[in-house]
Amino acid sequence: MRSRIEKIYMGIILVFMYAPIATLIVLSFNGSKSRARWGGFTFKWYINLFGDDKILNALANTLIIALISTVVATIIGTLTCVGLMGLKRRSRAFIMGITNIPMINADIVTGISLMLLFKVLRFGTGFVTVLLAHVTFNIPYVLLAVMPRMKTINPNVYEAALDLGAEPFYAFRKSVLPDLMPAVLSGALMAFTMSLDDFIITYFTKGSGFDTLSTKIYNEVKRGIQPEIYALSSIIFVVVIVLLVTSSMIKGRQGTGAKKKVSLYKVEKKITSGQAFAIGAVTVFIIMLGLYFGGVFARKSNQLFVYNAGEYIDPKVIDMFEAETGIDVIYDEFETLEIMYAKMVQDDSAYDVICPSDYMIAKMIDNGMLRELDLDAIPNRKYIGEQYLESAKSFDPENKYSVPYCWGTVGILYNKNMVEEPVTSWDILWNKKYAGQILMQDSIRDAFMVAEKRRGYSLNTTDPDELSKAADDLIAQRPLVQAYVIDQARDKMIGGEAALAVIYSGEVIYTQRENPDLAYSVPDEGSNVWIDGWVVTKHARNPEAAMKWIDFLCRPEIALMNFDFITYSSPNTAARELIEDEAIRNSEVAFPSEEVLERCDTYSYLGEDGDALYNDMWKKVKSGG
Amino acid sequence: MSKELIRLENISKSFDGELILDDLNLTIHENEFVTLLGPSGCGKTTTLRIIGGFETPDKGRVIFDGQDITALAPNKRQLNTVFQKYALFTHMDIAENIAFGLKIKNKPQEYIEDKIHYALKLVNLEGYEHRMPESLSGGQQQRVAIARAIVNEPKVLLLDEPLGALDLKLRQDMQYELIRLKNELGITFIYVTHDQEEALTMSDHIVVMNQGYIQQEGSPEDIYNEPENAFVADFIGDSNIIHATMVRDELVNILDTDFICVDKDFGENKPVDVVIRPEDVELVPRGQGTLPGTVSHVIFKGVHYEMEVQAGGFEWLVHSTRMFDAGTEVDIKVDPFNIQVMNRPESEDEEAMVIDV
Repeated sequence: MRSRIEKIYMGIILVFMYAPIATLIVLSFNGSKSRARWGGFTFKWYINLFGDDKILNALANTLIIALISTVVATIIGTLTCVGLMGLKRRSRAFIMGITNIPMINADIVTGISLMLLFKVLRFGTGFVTVLLAHVTFNIPYVLLAVMPRMKTINPNVYEAALDLGAEPFYAFRKSVLPDLMPAVLSGALMAFTMSLDDFIITYFTKGSGFDTLSTKIYNEVKRGIQPEIYALSSIIFVVVIVLLVTSSMIKGRQGTGAKKKVSLYKVEKKITSGQAFAIGAVTVFIIMLGLYFGGVFARKSNQLFVYNAGEYIDPKVIDMFEAETGIDVIYDEFETLEIMYAKMVQDDSAYDVICPSDYMIAKMIDNGMLRELDLDAIPNRKYIGEQYLESAKSFDPENKYSVPYCWGTVGILYNKNMVEEPVTSWDILWNKKYAGQILMQDSIRDAFMVAEKRRGYSLNTTDPDELSKAADDLIAQRPLVQAYVIDQARDKMIGGEAALAVIYSGEVIYTQRENPDLAYSVPDEGSNVWIDGWVVTKHARNPEAAMKWIDFLCRPEIALMNFDFITYSSPNTAARELIEDEAIRNSEVAFPSEEVLERCDTYSYLGEDGDALYNDMWKKVKSGG
Repeated sequence: MSKELIRLENISKSFDGELILDDLNLTIHENEFVTLLGPSGCGKTTTLRIIGGFETPDKGRVIFDGQDITALAPNKRQLNTVFQKYALFTHMDIAENIAFGLKIKNKPQEYIEDKIHYALKLVNLEGYEHRMPESLSGGQQQRVAIARAIVNEPKVLLLDEPLGALDLKLRQDMQYELIRLKNELGITFIYVTHDQEEALTMSDHIVVMNQGYIQQEGSPEDIYNEPENAFVADFIGDSNIIHATMVRDELVNILDTDFICVDKDFGENKPVDVVIRPEDVELVPRGQGTLPGTVSHVIFKGVHYEMEVQAGGFEWLVHSTRMFDAGTEVDIKVDPFNIQVMNRPESEDEEAMVIDV
C-alpha cells in the first residue's frame, strides 16, 4: 500500500515536470494552427521548419557559436586548470572562487556588463561579440568540470614523461590529457549545452541583424507563436536530453573507472575514440551547415539594416530586392515602437531604414534622429496617393522624412457568435457580460485612445484631468480584460478564445479569412487612423541603399505583393488599382470610406512631457492602480 | 675512487621564503650507489629534483660530466627518474609505458621490442607486456617504472623513495633487487630515502641531510660507527647520546664516571656529547664494570634482548644476547673503541644546523 502511494506520488511529480514539454511535443504534431483545436497528426511544421531559411540560419548561428565557444572555452579552461595546479592552495581556492562568480551571477548582469564593455571598446555587435560572450560564460563550466579531476592527477606522471625525453606539450598530451579527457569532454558538453541554451546574454550582446535560435524564438513568441516553433523546441529538447545523458554517461564511467580495472579500462578506451569520431563528425556537419547558410563570418560590405514591425513585409520582397540590387539585407523585427525607439537611442546607427508610425516619426524628427530623404533617388514615390501624403503632413509637415507604407484604422474585432448586440461604441469593452473575453492592445497610445474616445476627448489630449479619468476607466476595465496583447489578438480571435479585441484594421482581412465568424467595426465615437512610413536614420551607415529600399517598396507590383501578404491598406494608389479581387479592392475594411475617416484622427507627438505623463498613467494602469 | 660524475656547487633553494637548501655542495662519482638520507623536509627530495631538472636552484650550479646543466630542461638530461608513486601512464599498457622514451628517440621497432623484453626480464616481469598498470600490484608497478627508466640507458638513475609505498617484506626483496640491478647495469644510482636501514643495506655512499644541510657523508660503516654529531647518531640506528666532559685526551667523564676512550684533541674539560651504540654497552655482574646500574626493562627481540638500564641518572639502551632479569643490579662497561666523542654545539645557530627537532 505504502509503496503504491509512493509510486503515485512519484508519478504526480513526473507529470508536473514533464506535462508542459509533452504538451509542446503534442502540439508540434497538431495539424491545426490553433492551440485549442486538434487538427489531425502532421509533420507539416517540421517540414516547414526546415524550409524556413531564417530559422535555419539562426540554427546555424547557434550551432557555430556553441561549437566555437565550446572549443575555445574548453581549451582555455583546461589550460587554466593546468596553471592553477602550479599555484599554492590558497591562491588556487581564491581564483576558483572568482571564476565561479560569473556562474552564480545573474545572466542579466553579465549580459548588460558585456554589452557595455563592447560598447566602450567600440566593438561592432554581432557574431564576434556573441561568441566572445559565450566563451566568457562557458569557461567557468569547464573549470568546474575539469578542476576536480585535475586535482587527482599525480603531477609526477607529467614529470615522468618529461624525464623520458618528451617535450613539455607532448608530455602533457600523452600523460595528463588522457586522464583528464573524460572531465574535459563532460565540461565541453556542459559548455555546449549552456551556449545552446543561453538567451539573456546573447540578447544583450547580439546587436542588430544577428540571431541565434533562442533570440529568434523570442522574437517569434512576441508576435504570436507559430507551430514551427513547437517543432523546433521539441527538437531542441530532444537534443539537450541526448547531450545531458551522454555527459552523465561519461561522468559515470569516470567515477567507476578507478574501481574496476582492466576490462572496464579497455571499454573506456574504445568509447573515447568513438566519441572522438562522433565529435569530429558533428563538427564537420556544423561547419558545413554554416558554410551553406553562409554570411556568418564574411560580412559583406554592401549591407542594409532594416528594422520593421513583425510580419510587415512579404519575405519574397526582401529576396527580390537583394537579387536585384546585390545589397545584403539584414532584416530585424521590433515588437512595439517604444522598443524600437529605445533600441535606436541606445545605438543610433544600428539600423539604416525603419518603418515607424506617425507619432513616432514626429518624435524622431523632433529628436533629430532622421535624415532627409533624397527624393530624386525615390522616383516611385509618385505612386503614393496625394491624400495620404497630405495626411502624413500632420507628423511630417513637409513630407521630407517619410514615405507612407501602410495605413489603417483601429477598431473592434468581434466574434458574431459570441457578441449579440451591434458593436458601435467603445462602451462594449466595459460591458460586464464579456468579462474575460476582451483583449486590449498592449500599447500606450492605443489603450488610452480607446478610453479617451469613449469619453469624447481628443486622442492627443495632454490634459492631466482628462488623462487621469481615462486611466481610471482603464483600471476599472481591467477585471474584464482577458489580456493586454499585441499580435496574439489575431490568433486568439481566430481560435475563438476571446469575443472582442481592439485591433488594427489591417489584421481584419487575414482573420476573417481564417475565421468567417469575425467582424470589424470602427466605433461611432471615433478612433485612430494611423499611417506607417519608411524613414532613414540620421546615422545610417548605408543611406543610398536605404533610399533604394524605399523606392523599391513604392513600386506598384511590390506594394501589391506586400498588400497581399500583410493585408494592411496600402497608400499606393497604383497598387490598389492592380488588386484583382473586386471585393477586396472596394472593401470598407481595407479602404475605409471618407465617412469613417472623418471621425478618426492621427496620433501626434506629445513632446517629452506628454510622453512622460502617458507613461506614468500607463504604469498605473498596468499595475492595476 | 672512480671518476666524478655530478657536482652540486653552492646550491640554495627556497620555497615561499622558506629555505630548503642552503649552500649545498655534493660530489657524486660514477657507478656509485649514493643515498640521500634524512627526515622529511630535510631537502633530500629537492636535491634529487634539482639533479633531475624539475627544480631550478636559486643559487649555485649543477655540473654533469663536466658540463653545466643547471638550466637544462629535464627532457634533455642524460638521467632518468623513478618516482615515489610509480607515475606510470595509466592509459598505456606495460609495453607502451616502457617504450615511451624509446619512441621519442625514434628507435627502430625491433630495437624497442628487444629493449622491452630485456627490461621486463631484468625486473622479473616477463609476460606482462600487455597488462594495464592498474592491474599490477604496487611492487610490480614500481618495477615497471624502473624498467621504463633503464631502457633509456641513463648514466644516472634517480630514485625518489621508490619503496616508500610498499610493505615491509616486499621492500626488503626490492632492496636486494635494486642492488642486483645496479651491479648489472653498472650505472650510478642516486637514491632518496628516510629509511636508515634501507640506506645502510644498499648504499656505497650515504649523505645524511637535515634542514637543508649535509650533516655527514661517508660509507655506511663510517656513518654508523662514527657519527659526527648527535643528529646523525640519533637518526642512524639506536644510540645512547649522553652529555659528557672531555677531561683530557683519551679520558672522558660520563655521568660523573671516568671512561677511557681513544679520542684526542678536544682540549681539556670541554663539554662534549658521546655516542655509545646499544650493542656496544656490556653488562657485567656488579663489581666487574665501570658504572653501577639496575636493569629496569627487558624485551626479547629475537636476535638479541633489548634492555633498559638505569645508571648514573641516565636510561641506557642495551642490546645483548645475554639476558639479565629486570631488577638485577649490574655494572656497565664500554670498550674504549666504542665510545664516539662528538663536539657539542655551543651557539644556537650551530645547534639549529645540527639538531633535529
